[in-house]
Amino acid sequence: MSESAGLGLEADDPVAVVACGTSVVTRGELKRRSDELLALLQAHGVQRAMVRSDDPVHILRALDAGSRAGADVWIAHSNIPNDFIDETTKQFGIQLLIGDSDELRPASTGTPANGRVHMMTSGTTGRPKVAVHSLPSLLSRVRAGANLPANRGGKWLLSYQPTGFAGVQVILTALLSRGVIVVPEDRSPAGFHEAVRQHGVTQISATPTFWRSFLLVVRPDTLELRQITLGGEAADQATLDRLKKAFPRARITHIYASTEAGVVFAVHDGREGFPAAWLQQPTQGIELRVRDGLLQIKTPNAMRGYATESAQPLQADGWLATADRCEINGDRVRVLGRQDSTINVGGSKVYPLAVETFLLGLDGVIEARVFGVPNPITGSLVAAEVVLEPGRDQKAARASILAACRERLAGYQVPRALKFVDKIDVQASGKKG
Amino acid sequence: MTEQELLGQIQRLLGDISEAKGLDVPSIDANTELLDSELAIDSLDLASLVRELEEVTGFDPFKDGFIEFRTAGELAKLYVR
Repeated sequence: MSESAGLGLEADDPVAVVACGTSVVTRGELKRRSDELLALLQAHGVQRAMVRSDDPVHILRALDAGSRAGADVWIAHSNIPNDFIDETTKQFGIQLLIGDSDELRPASTGTPANGRVHMMTSGTTGRPKVAVHSLPSLLSRVRAGANLPANRGGKWLLSYQPTGFAGVQVILTALLSRGVIVVPEDRSPAGFHEAVRQHGVTQISATPTFWRSFLLVVRPDTLELRQITLGGEAADQATLDRLKKAFPRARITHIYASTEAGVVFAVHDGREGFPAAWLQQPTQGIELRVRDGLLQIKTPNAMRGYATESAQPLQADGWLATADRCEINGDRVRVLGRQDSTINVGGSKVYPLAVETFLLGLDGVIEARVFGVPNPITGSLVAAEVVLEPGRDQKAARASILAACRERLAGYQVPRALKFVDKIDVQASGKKG
Repeated sequence: MTEQELLGQIQRLLGDISEAKGLDVPSIDANTELLDSELAIDSLDLASLVRELEEVTGFDPFKDGFIEFRTAGELAKLYVR
């Protein structure tokens, strides 16, 4: 497939590609809508376009038409604040916003584009980081999975945020395997379950947190799952065992992936962690090692770079240093979780500093400390300790702080345990204790 | 706490969650399915609910691993001591 070939869609192809409720879009219809977008891009000489929608149809036509036109495409989360979108469109000279209606924006044409795909990390407070990929590299990553016989023509539940790295990965895998992307009408456990039942979903890729909730609503014998994939958080043995018991005929895979490194490896043996033998020899085209208890990766699939600053630095010897702490136990390596302070809430990363900064900006708050507490459903939840100005009413402050958090933060970032304290200790390092 | 008292706590906490989301406060009984039901709660809400129940009862039934539950009554039973 050449750089300009897009997604290889064909007109009049009657096979369904996206299904939501009773509405179905075929591959031929997607091709037609992509052709219309291509004409718009060409008519206005658009070099840079941004798709900001959770609808896979918009994401796919943006990727397809963008690639065919040689334009750069930004994929933005629908929950990113408007002011960040405005700033980004100005900064990069984005000329078209793609969504339910396509909206031209006045911008200088600037430098020519080269068909890059820009994806954003999550971040409602703090600035999202923008990672740069190309459509051919994204497609080559998913091609192996899409070509597996068990994945051909599958029905894929879109459990992830559609605009995130994992969501785009699922969308492209379904497309390449001539499968259907099943979009829930309501992104709640009940809504996911309804979509799975209604469309006869056969493949689900989701976080361990999703699976723990899903197991609480599902009647396993009513479903015919062929592939179960866990990613975004370390898969624990208890969840793997419960899935095996509920879906004995499904293939169960847990994957290790990150925005920086791409998909690193997949484990199919139903045991948590990965074989220690993988530290000795290259596996699945990558090399692994543990340094100072942290996992390091050498991979050809690493992204091309950040348009903004990097979180996982590439070292001089070509290895990528992760913050994931590992424990080697006999023939197995377990991934224990992150060494840094990032809180993993059901697969979504929360940066405590970003939430602390937000809390400190609220009326009456003079100090704040944000940290993770273990939780059986989501792995971790966000907890906060807050010092109020003297004389403030705690009950009123609690209500106003939580209301502000719910309005301005993503659900997974909102502190679910809020405690008022007299002071927050500072360690010798200058960090909050 | 008895199972009935715990159901009352679950009702109260679900009410807080719904109210915070601007939704009607649901009425539940022991047979209400927590996720696959008319309650508009998601896994984060359920995670918060479980945390609050631990706070109220001073007891964490999931300390040694996850235990299956589907209805409000099954969840309440886990906290009866």
